[in-house]
Amino acid sequence: MFNYFIRRFYLLTITAFILTLLAFIIEHWTAHSDINDNMIFHYWDYMLAIMQGEFGYSTIDNQPIIRVGLIAFASTLELCFFAFILAGLVGIPLGLFAGLKRNGGIDYCIMTLALIGLALPVFWVAILFTMLPNMGGWLMPIDGNISSIYEVPVVTGFLFIDSLLVSDKYQLDAFLNHLIHIILPSSVLAIFLISEIIRLTRHAVTMVMRTNYIKAAHAKGLTRSQVVYRHVLKNATPPIVHQLRLQISTIISFAMTIEIVFSYQGAGMWLFDSIQQGDYIALSTAILIISGFILLSTILVDLFLVIISPTIRKSFYADQ
Amino acid sequence: MLINNEFNEQKIQSPLQYIWSIFRNKSIAVMSMWAVVTLIIIIIFCHYIIPYPPSLQHPNMLLLPPYWADGSEQAHLLGTDDLGRDTFSRLLKGVQLTLSGALLITLVISILGIIIGATAALTQGIKASVLHHFLDALLAIPTLLTALILIVLLGMSFENSLLAVSLSLLPQFIRGIYICIESELNKQYLIALRLDGATNIRLLRFGILPNIIEPLVTLLNRSFTMAILEITTLGFLGFGANMEEIELGVLISQNLDLVYLSPYLVLFPGLAIFIIIIIFNVFSEGIRHAVIEGEE
Amino acid sequence: MALLDIRNLSIDIVTAQGKIRVIDKATLNIVEGTIHGLVGETGSGKSLIAKAILGLHNENWIVTADRMFLDHIDLQKLSSKERRKIMGTEIAIIFQNPRSYLDPSKKIYEQMCEVLPKSMTKKRLFNTVASHKNQKRVIKELLHKVGVQNDQEVINSYASELPEGICQKVMIAMAIANNPRLLIADEPTTSMEVVTQAQIFRLLFKLNQLHNTTILLLSNNFGSISNLSDYISLIYCGQTVESGSYKQIIKSPMHPYTQAMIKTILEFDDNVEHKSQLYTLPGSIPSVNQLPIGCRLGPRCPKAQKKCVLNPEAVNYKGHIIRCHFPTLGEK
Repeated sequence: MFNYFIRRFYLLTITAFILTLLAFIIEHWTAHSDINDNMIFHYWDYMLAIMQGEFGYSTIDNQPIIRVGLIAFASTLELCFFAFILAGLVGIPLGLFAGLKRNGGIDYCIMTLALIGLALPVFWVAILFTMLPNMGGWLMPIDGNISSIYEVPVVTGFLFIDSLLVSDKYQLDAFLNHLIHIILPSSVLAIFLISEIIRLTRHAVTMVMRTNYIKAAHAKGLTRSQVVYRHVLKNATPPIVHQLRLQISTIISFAMTIEIVFSYQGAGMWLFDSIQQGDYIALSTAILIISGFILLSTILVDLFLVIISPTIRKSFYADQ
Repeated sequence: MLINNEFNEQKIQSPLQYIWSIFRNKSIAVMSMWAVVTLIIIIIFCHYIIPYPPSLQHPNMLLLPPYWADGSEQAHLLGTDDLGRDTFSRLLKGVQLTLSGALLITLVISILGIIIGATAALTQGIKASVLHHFLDALLAIPTLLTALILIVLLGMSFENSLLAVSLSLLPQFIRGIYICIESELNKQYLIALRLDGATNIRLLRFGILPNIIEPLVTLLNRSFTMAILEITTLGFLGFGANMEEIELGVLISQNLDLVYLSPYLVLFPGLAIFIIIIIFNVFSEGIRHAVIEGEE
Repeated sequence: MALLDIRNLSIDIVTAQGKIRVIDKATLNIVEGTIHGLVGETGSGKSLIAKAILGLHNENWIVTADRMFLDHIDLQKLSSKERRKIMGTEIAIIFQNPRSYLDPSKKIYEQMCEVLPKSMTKKRLFNTVASHKNQKRVIKELLHKVGVQNDQEVINSYASELPEGICQKVMIAMAIANNPRLLIADEPTTSMEVVTQAQIFRLLFKLNQLHNTTILLLSNNFGSISNLSDYISLIYCGQTVESGSYKQIIKSPMHPYTQAMIKTILEFDDNVEHKSQLYTLPGSIPSVNQLPIGCRLGPRCPKAQKKCVLNPEAVNYKGHIIRCHFPTLGEK
């Protein structure tokens, strides 16, 4: 198993190398148009700079671009994470229900909901959600991450944590304010995520329910709930997690779109502003940050899968 | 009560006929098929269907609501916008542009994707390995980011946004095809076909493609959905079609300021996107189910 | 005395092409304390009968029977709760391909705990350690009973790490944990080595002899189970063709199909002529959706006549049930 991860890591470095190459080409293309010089030297310089953490400076406010980017991406991650928790709480039980009562009335209802959720254009739903507080008469902010009256210094970049760190100044107000700000954007993202999770869970559960060992479990005289808790859940989790891993980049794409509608200060808004103001250095940095995160999360998810599932563990041994 | 009580000389149907006979029995699937046909007719004959030219302004009829609301005009089915342009005509024009763009993208990436994916799966050695790592790297970049980068590099226009969307969706499609072919290659009948000395082309044509219809339909549908969503997203963000070109995303962003004045102007384009995607999703689900049942 | 009494069991499967009758009026009478062999070619519907007895059928099956009794329990009228109660304690089943019937993500130990008698697995507030030990002891005994020596290793492994033969033994151990009265063995030895096959059969035989467990043994190989069973039923394309005691079937087979099956058993003491063809019935089994009308053996039967386009009724000659218009009644 250790060997496997060494190998994974090795593949990861190759992929990361290709990514830096892409980022370099983009930066080169957007920044200087003179390509007469030796490209390899340029690339070498670029790599050296990256190794030292020198990504360049934003042309808008002369801040180090990597710092701006990381803070923005942390907000995006916060949004995704929050939406993910919401979606998991709703989606998994619904998907499980649909999978167990396959082809029943409930199943059709749930699947219709999921189908609708996957077909809705995200930015449009976001616009509708920005109108909701106005129509419902709720006091709910529809732009930004946090009210500008709170001065929250950036420590970790994650506003939830940062706002807790300043709790001696504002008590929990800053935290709650951020929470209110994040609810609407994350529920838009959650609509998509819920549909995806329902679809995946239902598929995984149906696949497991068709297997022979579930028949055997019924033949043992176990009750339906016993079968679900003891056999179905454990065997259905790995494929769901695996499929969700492949969706991370889509989720981040959607989160970025939603941010722009809600002017939530995350990676999407940052890129949007940078492009509008011609600060193209942000693009190559964004590639490195976001893709780096996705690559890392891939490995972590794999590790998690190996821990929870003996069958996957087994297949690694077979590879060696 | 015997059921087989007479000579039932059944004709053995070809697989396509069989799938069609299953498909025909599902009313929802058939309905979605007709809806798809209608959409394609709209694409082709849009110019003749729309009641007014999309940029014709009716200065005395601004911001009319749709026909069921108070103060509407029968002449303008879905009302007018702030310059008095007919919403229905603009909507159809938008559907035409967006849908044809998405269909074009799906067609292009399905052809390219099958070729590249098959090459990656059927060849070994350095070609496959380079392709593989390159794909891994591309897959790690979110599609929206790829599209944004390409738009910045190529310049903003509708054609470039189509190009950007197809390039950003291509890696996912190739990966999907690659996984399908890879799992198919391990099956016994393909090993048998190989032992018969089949060339790679023959292997692909007779061994693999007929057996990956179901995942292929899912992949195509997914690419199509994402294509529509991304074209409209880019249009909405102002990176795709410019203001003169009528595209559903652009329509939404144009009318965003009027959302409290006349919410229909934002509502309808979004609904149109939603309905298009739903129709195609149901259609592909119908095909997929028919294929699955046909295989069983 | 009959433990399992099934009369005119029919199973229809609903498909896209309409209903297909896969089991047509099967009749099965299993005497308590015996081994009953159910023999039929692949696809003849043996497993379907087994699954219908257990109630493990899918939703698109329509199961009808005139009578389906396990002792005094009517299997057709059971609610799912009552059925759950008799599963394991009254009926247990072992399957073919045992590995796929074991949960791949759980250790054998956890799976075996599930089948232990309810009183033993009940969570007690106190002495959980003691009950845990007790469970381990019982599992160990069960595994020893079915001839698994290295019980510690086995209960700590996953199904994918064990050979097929051990998996089958584990399945048997799980099946007999509650001392069921009827054990259904659904082709327990397919895809196993001959030595393992012999072990499994010996194990089943021993169970029958020592615990008086009634066993319904399904097999597609007439030769391998015929000397094990007390009673044999033959099934062809979902119709029971002949059923009777071992002696009746082997000594005086009446149905042409049985006769053909007996001829196919290789007997090496006869002088089989060099390069002579082995005997089989001409033709092959028809597919389920294109069955012949009347007697389904019709087109392949050496004795078929015009009358065979009508479905023959089952006739009972002193416990020897047969379904044929032209049985061989020589010895009677």
